[in-house]
Amino acid sequence: MSATAAGPTIARPQRWDSPFDSEMTDAMVEGLLEVKEIAGIQTDKFPARIPLEGILKNDTRIINYESGDIIVRQGDYGNSAFLVLDGDLRVVVSPGLPSDIMGRIDETQRTFFNSLSQLWTNRWFPEVRNDFSKAKTGLRHSEDKADTVRGVFLQDVPAVLDQHQTVVLSEGALFGELAALGRVPRTASIFAEGKATLLEIRWQGLRELRNYDEGWRRIINQRYRETALRTHLNETSMFHGLSDEVMSKISDQCLFETYGSFEWHTSFKQARNRGIEQEPIIAREREYPDGLLLIRAGFARESIKHGNSRRTVTYLGAGDHYGLEELYSAWKNPEDAGAALQSSLTSLGYVDAIRVPAPVLEEFVFPNMDPPESRIEKVRSRPIDQDSLLEWAVEERFINARQAMVIDMDKCVRCDDCVRACASTHGGNPRFRRHGKTHDHWMVANACMHCVDPVCMIGCPTGAIHRSLSGGKVIINDKTCIGCGTCANSCPYNNISMVNIADSSGTKIVDETTHKPIMKATKCDLCTGQLGGPACVRACPNDALKRVSFNEFDA
Amino acid sequence: MNLMPSPPERESEHLPAVSWWDKLSQRSRDMILFVLLAASAIFGLLLLTDAYEKNLERTDTLTGYILFGLIIFLGALNSRKKMSMIPLGRASLWLSAHVVFGIAAIGLFWLHIGTIWPVGLYEQVLTAIFYLVAISGVIGFLLYRIGARQLTQSGVEVIYERIPRELYEIREQSEKIVLKCTEETGSDTLAKHYEDTLSWFFRKPRFYWQNIFGLQSSAHWMRFHAASVVRYLDEKETAHFDELMTLISVKRKIDHHYAAQDLMKKWLLIHLPLSIALLVLASWHWFLVEVYAI
Repeated sequence: MSATAAGPTIARPQRWDSPFDSEMTDAMVEGLLEVKEIAGIQTDKFPARIPLEGILKNDTRIINYESGDIIVRQGDYGNSAFLVLDGDLRVVVSPGLPSDIMGRIDETQRTFFNSLSQLWTNRWFPEVRNDFSKAKTGLRHSEDKADTVRGVFLQDVPAVLDQHQTVVLSEGALFGELAALGRVPRTASIFAEGKATLLEIRWQGLRELRNYDEGWRRIINQRYRETALRTHLNETSMFHGLSDEVMSKISDQCLFETYGSFEWHTSFKQARNRGIEQEPIIAREREYPDGLLLIRAGFARESIKHGNSRRTVTYLGAGDHYGLEELYSAWKNPEDAGAALQSSLTSLGYVDAIRVPAPVLEEFVFPNMDPPESRIEKVRSRPIDQDSLLEWAVEERFINARQAMVIDMDKCVRCDDCVRACASTHGGNPRFRRHGKTHDHWMVANACMHCVDPVCMIGCPTGAIHRSLSGGKVIINDKTCIGCGTCANSCPYNNISMVNIADSSGTKIVDETTHKPIMKATKCDLCTGQLGGPACVRACPNDALKRVSFNEFDA
Repeated sequence: MNLMPSPPERESEHLPAVSWWDKLSQRSRDMILFVLLAASAIFGLLLLTDAYEKNLERTDTLTGYILFGLIIFLGALNSRKKMSMIPLGRASLWLSAHVVFGIAAIGLFWLHIGTIWPVGLYEQVLTAIFYLVAISGVIGFLLYRIGARQLTQSGVEVIYERIPRELYEIREQSEKIVLKCTEETGSDTLAKHYEDTLSWFFRKPRFYWQNIFGLQSSAHWMRFHAASVVRYLDEKETAHFDELMTLISVKRKIDHHYAAQDLMKKWLLIHLPLSIALLVLASWHWFLVEVYAI
C-alpha cells in the first residue's frame, strides 16, 4: 500500500506560464534577434533556464502606434520599458502636456457658493452623471475589439508640436527603464509623431537583460548614475560634506539591485497565509555585511529572531539604509568577529536598492563619521506588545499609506457623520466604507490611502487614475474612466469601488450596443476641489478620524 | 508611541520636548479653552447684572437675550453637521463648544428665571423641556464616552445597518450545523433542543437592556442551555454543539453591538426633537415678551 496520500496534483507553475503577449511567435522573436540593440546581446551569458529567446517571447510585446498615440504620460507609473523599433516619437520637454489632454482631472477649487450649492444640487439617487460630453482626450480603440480602449491619443499633433518644446526619439532609442525598475513616476510624456513600432519590455525581462548582458546593464546603470544616483546620495546624511570628486568615485562603484516582485499586490491579495517567511530575503542575520544598502524604492522589513519567529525592528522605505552599524563596527574593530549583521532584511513586495561596497565607505565615509547609534539592543529591551502596532501595520502593508483613514474606535461613536459628510461632498454616495482591519482600538477604514507605491495606477489604459501634481493625491478623472476595473482589481486594500452610473432620474445607464451597465471607478479623492480639506476629518465630532502617513503616525 | 521607532536616518533626529499641553488630546484642549471662555463670560455677565441691579434696572431682558442666542448657537450644531461641504470648522470643535456652553446655559437659565422652577403654566412647560434637553444632553455625552470604548472592547466590529444581515447569516449557519448533526449522527437531541430553546436566541437581537446595563445575562443563558443539553450528547454531537456555541458567542457580541449602537442612535431621536421643541417654545416666549413690552 502506498504511504503517500492521494490528492489533487497540478504541474508546478513556471515563470513564463503567463506571457506578456500570448500572440508573440517564434518568427517575431527571430525578427527581434536581428534588431541591432538585441543582436549585440551575448546569448551565452544567460542561464539555460532564462534564455534570451525566452525573455523576448514571454516578457516583451510588439505594439504599433498611430500618429498622436500617447505612449507614456508624465507622472504615470508603469512596469515596462520601450525600445523604438521603427518610427519617430516625441518627448514633450516643456511645457508639459495639459492635464485635460492627458485625460486627467481639472483640480480647480470650488467657490464658497459652489460648495454650498451641493446642499440642493445633490440628487436623491447615487452616482448620477449629468454631463456626458466627452473629455478633450481622444480614446484609441483596439483594432480587433471595438469596445476595448487601448489608450489615449493627441487629436492635434501639429498644434502640440507648435506649442511645446519636444525632443525626437528615433529607431533604437530605449526609454522608460528607470521608471520601470525604480518604481518612480515617468518624468515626461512621449507620443508617436507618425506611425511607430515599439518593443515593450516588462520589468521582469528588463531585469534579466540588466543582470545578464553587459551592454544593457551599462546603459541602464549609466543612465541612472547620470540622472538620479547623485541626488539620492546627496540626500543621505552620511554623504553630506563630501567633495564632488569623492561623490563621483562613490557613485561609480555603486551597484544596483532589485528584490521581490513588482506585482506584489497580486500575491498579497491572493495569499491566505502571509508572513515574514514568505518574504524574499535581501540580507540574513549573522551573515557578514559586504556593503551598505540604500533603499531607492519599495519597502523592506528589518527583523531579528525572536522565539520561534522574527520580530520586526522597523521597516525601511525610500531614503533609508541598512547595515551601517555593522559595517562601521567591522571597520573600527577589524579583529572583532562579532561584526556580523544583527538583523535580517526582507523585501515587502518590490525593493530597488543601491549597494555601496564596504571598501568605498571605509575609504571615504567612515573616517569622518560619528559612530552610528546601536538600535537593535534598544528594540530587544522593549516589551513585544509595544511594537505590535508596527508588526500589524507591516503585515497588512499599511506602511504604504500616505493618507490612511485611521479611526480611534475608543472615540468613535459609530454615528457615521464621516460617511454622510463624504456622501454630501461626492454627489450623494460616500467614497469609503467605515469598516476595515482593526488592531487594538485602531481601525484602518476602507478608504484610499494615496499610497507611496500606487499599484492601482499601473495598467490604466486612459490615465484616468493619476497622481495629482499638487499634493500627490491619487485621483480618478471620471470623464476618462472607461470602467475597465483594472485599478480596482489592482488595489491590494480593496479601496476602489466600481459603481453603476445613473441619469438624473436614477435610471442605470447601459451601453448602447451591449446593454451592459456603464461602470466607473470611484474612490476617496481627499475632497479634491472642496473647500477645507477632507470632509470626513472635519465632520468627526469626536476627533476619532485622522488621515495619516504610517511613518508619522503617533499612536 | 510612534509607529516608526528606529529607522536609521530618523533615529538621530532629536525631537523637541513635548509640553503637557501638547500631550493632551485635541478634544481636551478644546474643552479647556471653552471652559475658560465660558467661565470668563459668566463672570463678566455676573458683574454686568450686578451693575444693572445697582442701577435698579431689570436683568432678565439681558440674560434672556443671551440665553436665547445661546440656545440658537447650541441648536446650530445640527446644521453644521448637514453642511460638511463648506469650511465651518471642525465638528469636534463645535461639539466641545456645544457641551461646555450647554452646561453653561443651565447656569444662565437659573440666572434668568431667578429660581429653579417658575410659576405659570407656559413657563413651567418651557422649563421642563429645557431640563429634559439638558438632562438628555448630559446622558448622551456620557453614553458616547462609555459606549464607544465598550463597543471596541467587545472584540467584533459591525456596522449597525448590517446587523440584520449578519444575524441572518449566523442563523443560517446554526441551522446547517444542527441539520448536519442530525444527518451524521441520526440523533435529533440537538435538533430538538435547538427548536425548543436555541432558535429563540438566534431569531433576532436578544438581551437588549441587559447588554445596555452591562449585565452578563446572555452569558448566563448560554451556560445554562449548554449545560442542560450537553449531558445527552455523544462525542460526535458534542463536536457539532461546540460549533454552535462558537456561533452563540459571536451572536452575543453582535447583540451587544446592536444594543449599544441602537441606544446611541436613538438617544439623538430624543435629544433632537426636544431641542426643536425648546427652540419653538423659547421663540414664542421671546415674541410674547416683546409684544407685551410695547
